[in-house]
Amino acid sequence: MKIIVCYKWVPDEQDIKIAADLKVDMSMAKWKISEYDKNAIEEAALQAENNAAEVTCLTFGTSKAKQSLKDALSRGPEKAYWVNDAKAENTDGFVTANILAAAIKKVGIPDLIFFGEGSEDSYGQQVGPRVAALLDIPALTFVTKTAVKDDAITTTRSIGNCTEDVTASFPAVVCMLPEINKPRIPSLKQVLKASKKPVEEIKLADLGLSDAELTVKNKVKSIQGFVMNRKNKLYQDGSSAEKVKALVSDLAKEGLA
Amino acid sequence: MAGIYIYSEEQPVTEQLLTAGKTLANSLNEKINVIDFSEQDSESFIKKGADHVLCLKSDHPWPESYAQIIADILKEKDPTVVLIGGTLRGKTTASIIAAKLQTGLVNNAFAIEGSGSVIETKRIMYSGIAVCTEELCHGSIVTIEPRTFDAAQDSDHQGDTENIDIQPEAKTITVGNVCPIVHQDNDIATAEKLVCVGRGLSDQNDMKLAEELAEKLHAQICCTRSVAEDYHWLTTDKYVGLSGAKVKPNLYISMGVSGQVQHVAGMRDSKVIVAVDTNENAPIFAAADYGIVGDLHEIIPLLTKELG
Ligand SMILES: Cc1cc2nc3c(=O)[nH]c(=O)nc-3n(C[C@H](O)[C@H](O)[C@H](O)COP(=O)(O)OP(=O)(O)OC[C@H]3O[C@@H](n4cnc5c(N)ncnc54)[C@H](O)[C@@H]3O)c2cc1C
Repeated sequence: MKIIVCYKWVPDEQDIKIAADLKVDMSMAKWKISEYDKNAIEEAALQAENNAAEVTCLTFGTSKAKQSLKDALSRGPEKAYWVNDAKAENTDGFVTANILAAAIKKVGIPDLIFFGEGSEDSYGQQVGPRVAALLDIPALTFVTKTAVKDDAITTTRSIGNCTEDVTASFPAVVCMLPEINKPRIPSLKQVLKASKKPVEEIKLADLGLSDAELTVKNKVKSIQGFVMNRKNKLYQDGSSAEKVKALVSDLAKEGLA
Repeated sequence: MAGIYIYSEEQPVTEQLLTAGKTLANSLNEKINVIDFSEQDSESFIKKGADHVLCLKSDHPWPESYAQIIADILKEKDPTVVLIGGTLRGKTTASIIAAKLQTGLVNNAFAIEGSGSVIETKRIMYSGIAVCTEELCHGSIVTIEPRTFDAAQDSDHQGDTENIDIQPEAKTITVGNVCPIVHQDNDIATAEKLVCVGRGLSDQNDMKLAEELAEKLHAQICCTRSVAEDYHWLTTDKYVGLSGAKVKPNLYISMGVSGQVQHVAGMRDSKVIVAVDTNENAPIFAAADYGIVGDLHEIIPLLTKELG
């Protein structure tokens, strides 16, 4: 069984600052593998350990994403594919899916393709199922459990008001919810081993995509800090009992107590 | 051809999308078309503003399997914009349709506005720290989460219905063991009042403090992701946030919740937010209307008592 797990290299939102003019300042941000994708990588690693799956990983990123490869490989995959292009700076779900699907076709469609439920930065929640549609294979999304038997995967999906078990024969795309597993913290040995694993860089030009397929669809007009409009009243005077009294009196004025 | 197209596998969500659709239809001077499965609903959709209802007749139980058929219909109709209910099934369906049509998709838009021939959407980015405003391409798909808009009002609006017999492709999928998620107590997404517990609780016994307060207020109890996933004190349908439930009660009281951005993204539409936390620098206070810096073990029982 062959698995490709896709991941995105994203800025850590804890380090993102919003300036007074609401501009988003990422200059201080450390970059990391999107947390949701760590769940996908972990699920692939578990399939490698338990079912002898052959796991590789794939990312589309700028030259900066090079730093992600060792971290990804230390989490289990045996080989990394990296579509390296500055276009990753300004992409959308449409372009990213076109690129990933083309790269997957180029390296050979595996039995299973894993994704997280969305990326931590833009959270577009569409690249996984888009890739499935482009490859004309089933998309099993919001998955909390996987089980592989013969040439099929059975997943439990948790979709708001119900859960359901969906079985698809290979090949299939599976997108994981974070509750599916706890991503490992790679051991020193795993990190050292990762340096020796192969990385294959893929050039965008080799994927045979047209200009239209590489042009974003919707135009981003602005990305601005979210403005929180709250009263921010802190009760500071008096004893705890007095603070609580003041709070309840304010809640009563709002018709809530 | 043109027009606004609306689809959700859940009828109440379609009725909410009609509210957004009607505003758009006015400013863009477009007709509203609804895609649905049940002829019974079409009259109600027309009353709520639909000009045309396309009723797909088939008995395939898996809503996601209609993506190809809806894509085929949309391809022929060449819509201006497509609004799809942002349930989890809806977002998957929308992604597949967008890929088949090679068009744009904005998931989880919380606002949509048209003027002239331009349509703009807003959605959150970076876990809720930022808002991204996008100008849509012709024919873009937009998903809007349930309860973002109220259901459209009935009127004497007139429209027509078209029945289409379809045969969804079976694909290589089987679905079984469909279990409704039975919410212990009520669904927090629709609760009027919520008490939220975080990791500031010392142990599971402290849940009592939340329960007593909730009982006094007739509130439901919800939690942060850590409480559901690491401590398992509540089930995962009870955690609020970006990857959890989106809630907008009239009153939201948190205890021992730090207010990380991923959590706040799920509760900041609440009407009034109250926070109790020992750390005066906890980000929850920036998201709160009223705050008490203090130990929940002391403050919460006082609050329960004071509420009489
Ligand atoms: C990709 C991603 C997605 C996520 N999605 C979600 C999500 O959807 N929902 C979600 O909730 N989280 C989510 N998280 C996790 C989130 O970042 C926080 O880790 C989590 O919300 C913190 O939970 P908490 O406030 O309970 O715990 P903590 O952050 O540990 O906060 C505990 C708080 O309790 C206070 N405290 C301690 N003792 C007391 C006391 N005796 N009395 C009063 N206060 C006390 C502390 O001062 C602190 O502020 C996500 C994280 C990532 C990376």
